[in-house]
Amino acid sequence: MISLAGRDILHSWGKFVFTGIGLGLLIGVTLTMAGVYRGMVDDAKVLLDNSAADLWVVQKDTLGPYAEPSSLYDDNWRGIRNIQGVASATNVTYLTMQVRHGESDVRVLVTGVVTGETGAPGWPPHLIAGRQITRGHYEAVADVATGFKLGDQIKIRRNVYAVVGLTRRMVSSSGDPMVFIPIKDAQQAQFLKDNDAILEQRRRTEQNPALNRPGLPEVLDAVIATQSANPFVNAVLVQVKPGYAHPEVAESIRRWKRLQVYDRLQMEEILVGKLIATSARQIGMFLVILAVVSAAIVAFIIYTLTMGKIREIAVLKLIGTRNRTIAGMILQQALGLGLIGFVVGKVSATFWAPVFPKYVLLEPGDAIRGFVAVVVICVLASAISIWAALKVDPAEAIGG
Amino acid sequence: MVTAGIRIEGLRKRFGSGDTAVDALKDVNMVITPGEVVGLVGPSGSGKSTLLKCLGAVVEPSAGRMTIGDELIYDNRWVIKDLRALRRDKIGFIFQAPYLIPFLDVTDNVALLPMLAGLSNAMARKQALELLQALDVAHRARAMPSQLSGGEQQRVSIARALVNRPPVILADEPTAPLDGARALAVIRILNQMARQYEAAIIVVTHDEKIIPTFKRIYHIRDGKTHEEVGEGRDFE
Amino acid sequence: MMKFIPLRPRTLALLAVLVPLMMLFFYVALRSGPLAPVAVTVAQAEHRAISPALFGIGTVEARHTYKVGPVAAGRLLRLEADVGDRVVAGQVLGEMDPVDMDDKLRAQQAAMKQAEAQLQEAQTRQAYAKTQAHRYEQLHAVRSTSEENYAAKRHEFELADAILKATQQQVSRVRADQEGLSTQRKNLKLIAPADGLVSARKADPGTTLVAGQAAIEIIDPTTIWVHARFDQLSSKGLATGLPAKLVLRSGAGQALNGHVTRVEPLADAVTEEIIAKVTFDEAFATLPPVGELAEITVTLPGVASAIVIPNASLKRLKNQVGVWEVKRGGLQFAPITIGATDLNGRVQVLDGLSDQAQVVIYSARALSAQSRISIVDQLPGASQ
Repeated sequence: MISLAGRDILHSWGKFVFTGIGLGLLIGVTLTMAGVYRGMVDDAKVLLDNSAADLWVVQKDTLGPYAEPSSLYDDNWRGIRNIQGVASATNVTYLTMQVRHGESDVRVLVTGVVTGETGAPGWPPHLIAGRQITRGHYEAVADVATGFKLGDQIKIRRNVYAVVGLTRRMVSSSGDPMVFIPIKDAQQAQFLKDNDAILEQRRRTEQNPALNRPGLPEVLDAVIATQSANPFVNAVLVQVKPGYAHPEVAESIRRWKRLQVYDRLQMEEILVGKLIATSARQIGMFLVILAVVSAAIVAFIIYTLTMGKIREIAVLKLIGTRNRTIAGMILQQALGLGLIGFVVGKVSATFWAPVFPKYVLLEPGDAIRGFVAVVVICVLASAISIWAALKVDPAEAIGG
Repeated sequence: MVTAGIRIEGLRKRFGSGDTAVDALKDVNMVITPGEVVGLVGPSGSGKSTLLKCLGAVVEPSAGRMTIGDELIYDNRWVIKDLRALRRDKIGFIFQAPYLIPFLDVTDNVALLPMLAGLSNAMARKQALELLQALDVAHRARAMPSQLSGGEQQRVSIARALVNRPPVILADEPTAPLDGARALAVIRILNQMARQYEAAIIVVTHDEKIIPTFKRIYHIRDGKTHEEVGEGRDFE
Repeated sequence: MMKFIPLRPRTLALLAVLVPLMMLFFYVALRSGPLAPVAVTVAQAEHRAISPALFGIGTVEARHTYKVGPVAAGRLLRLEADVGDRVVAGQVLGEMDPVDMDDKLRAQQAAMKQAEAQLQEAQTRQAYAKTQAHRYEQLHAVRSTSEENYAAKRHEFELADAILKATQQQVSRVRADQEGLSTQRKNLKLIAPADGLVSARKADPGTTLVAGQAAIEIIDPTTIWVHARFDQLSSKGLATGLPAKLVLRSGAGQALNGHVTRVEPLADAVTEEIIAKVTFDEAFATLPPVGELAEITVTLPGVASAIVIPNASLKRLKNQVGVWEVKRGGLQFAPITIGATDLNGRVQVLDGLSDQAQVVIYSARALSAQSRISIVDQLPGASQ
């Protein structure tokens, strides 16, 4: 027996392939949508991975430092370091800001990391070019997604930083690429306003008679000095010594330092569960709609192809073709279309994913799930065509 | 009883029931011997199509008997249960238009029937090629139907009707779209094939050009058949 | 001849579409996503000397700053010196308002004159009394006058003498008063205590200043240095006398030579920094503004040749610093002890890594011991 479906596909391969490609692009969009969601989750996880921390110590009653603002005194780490089970405690600051790059702005997460201590938590864990920061000031490691290259100058607030290293996939939970700078600079950057604002603030302070006391000229200087200092950081990254349970160490920091502490799982819950939950539902809706649209398109195409052959189907039935053979032909065509569509979709998604401004993570598991979905959708979509084909009366071939 | 290609006795077909019942066929009696080509003529609405559908085992008659060869296939009900196999193996169809399967080439269009009957692809194609040779279209064996002329298509469709060596061939207005010479050529082929393959061929037609060629004609009028002797003109 | 395929051109066309598509598909499935190997670059650990250095920032400061102001509260009368003026020791820069001090001085002068007149009178009286006494003494000797008269004249003389002495003391006192007042008057002048440059003028005439408040600040431009701060984490080896390069923020990257003059015994506990003073080796034609930011790179003594790797290869795994070593195509984490580092990102390995070891420098993704790797020359996107 010859494959009727195969012959039909061969006969009208142009229509078939182009329809398949069209469907494939739609499937590609669907896979990309799933990839966008995976990318968001991965962005969150990558941020946590890259900070290399076991515990995040943040301001009390906040969900900081990623989901909410948090600020701690920058000497809190000393006390935390002394708690039993803590292997290291490192200050870190995060500041999302626009940074000028050539003619345009890029949105970056400026991360202040402790320099001088090799491989400290918060450091970019791997580079793709250049080197890690060695100077305590005015050096930066930037993510390639920012567009900066080695040797470029980044202006952050008042200071210019030389890009000495490049990273890849170092992003904030909202996908903004990270720029690592020494923490002292970062504290300044986080606090310092532009020059005008500083002058305005000084002027206001000077005009305040309580602070600018005649006869006590030193008071003003002292007040201004405290105003221009920033003894805060956003979080302390804690690594736990081997052999200590994370929740116990977290509990003792919570109890004795009266600070909020999150471990890795809680942090993931905050980032994935809270920060991107709505986006995830949004994308879920999109996926459902795209699946329905894909199903409708497959159904429509298969139905059209079948209806175009109704006379042939009648003849086939008249000359003794089994219903099973005819249903098989339609089903095979639907599956063939789905297969072409899936392959085209997977290939196109893979090729356009890197072009997206945010990370799109195409997981093989998603591809397999997508393939199963495509098969199921094709089977369901061919059902109506099969039903229509089986309803064809062989008598229609005779007499008219 | 003479072994007939097909024998029809008292065939009736009623559509609907009660007050609205319509008797399309009231009393149809036909006997066609193998190798014979008979005409079936009648005006529109005479029950021609219904008869053809009953003969083609796609519409169930209401009463009567139908025998193909030695096999009783209808006796007030279907005696044969697998009508599909019946159509495939015992009845050949030739339609007004060739109705070839557009996505199969000429050989496979013909070979499809033996394949459906369970023959291997190679055997089926061998049979198909033999018939195509007999019908003088073997040189187009690899062509697609859309690449053939109308006459070639019609010959391929005749080959398809014959390929399973059915005892009965039903031809539904096979010459309708053709001019005189071509129509006569088709009838000639049918006659030739009927003799060669011992098939009983019923040609449904109202084509005045070819009616004189039949030796025997069944007129169907008001659901009843009347047998006539035709001119049996020798058109060769 | 089971699958006798009809219509070659059609089949070929279909294959021409489908075969590349399938090839692409498999390429895509294997070369992207988690199945793909991680692109890495490797380098060989090499033996070489490195010259470690320390990096800090600081501000330009003057070693000596003189703040000139009144010793008593008062109003500023005039201030001649302005910012940027060079002054010499003893130069009058301005003056506080003397208010009634000049009047007091004039009264004192009048008192002085009065005292001098009184002195003159007393001298005259004493001279006359002396003459009289002398004459009566002679008369008494020849007994031309009575003993009593002589005694009276002598008494007059002694009296006039005493008055004269008293008047002389009076004059001294008035003079001292006058001098005191005059010194006070001079003290109202603001005088440069040393040679230097006026760096700030904090008050203008008419301003009331409290005692000790500076009206003007003078710095000594020959003693400009940089107050440098080094992170405590990376200040190992900082010592007096080390050479340093100084880049002023306004200096457009131009490095000036200097050396560490002093490492302060007190570190900053709040900012966790060590403080040092770095002096410029060359004198300035134009002085850099005090308070300007400077970057200081202190060159430490060179380290003897040792195994050196780039700091980009350093990883921290389970609180252990180490590197990914490529061994037989696979990865192995080698914990290492690191020594000196230089500012170009080179790290000396004290222990844990053999010579010629292949070390992963850059990787496109985070690595684990199970990672499949493909070694490339340069990672995509990493072009200079």
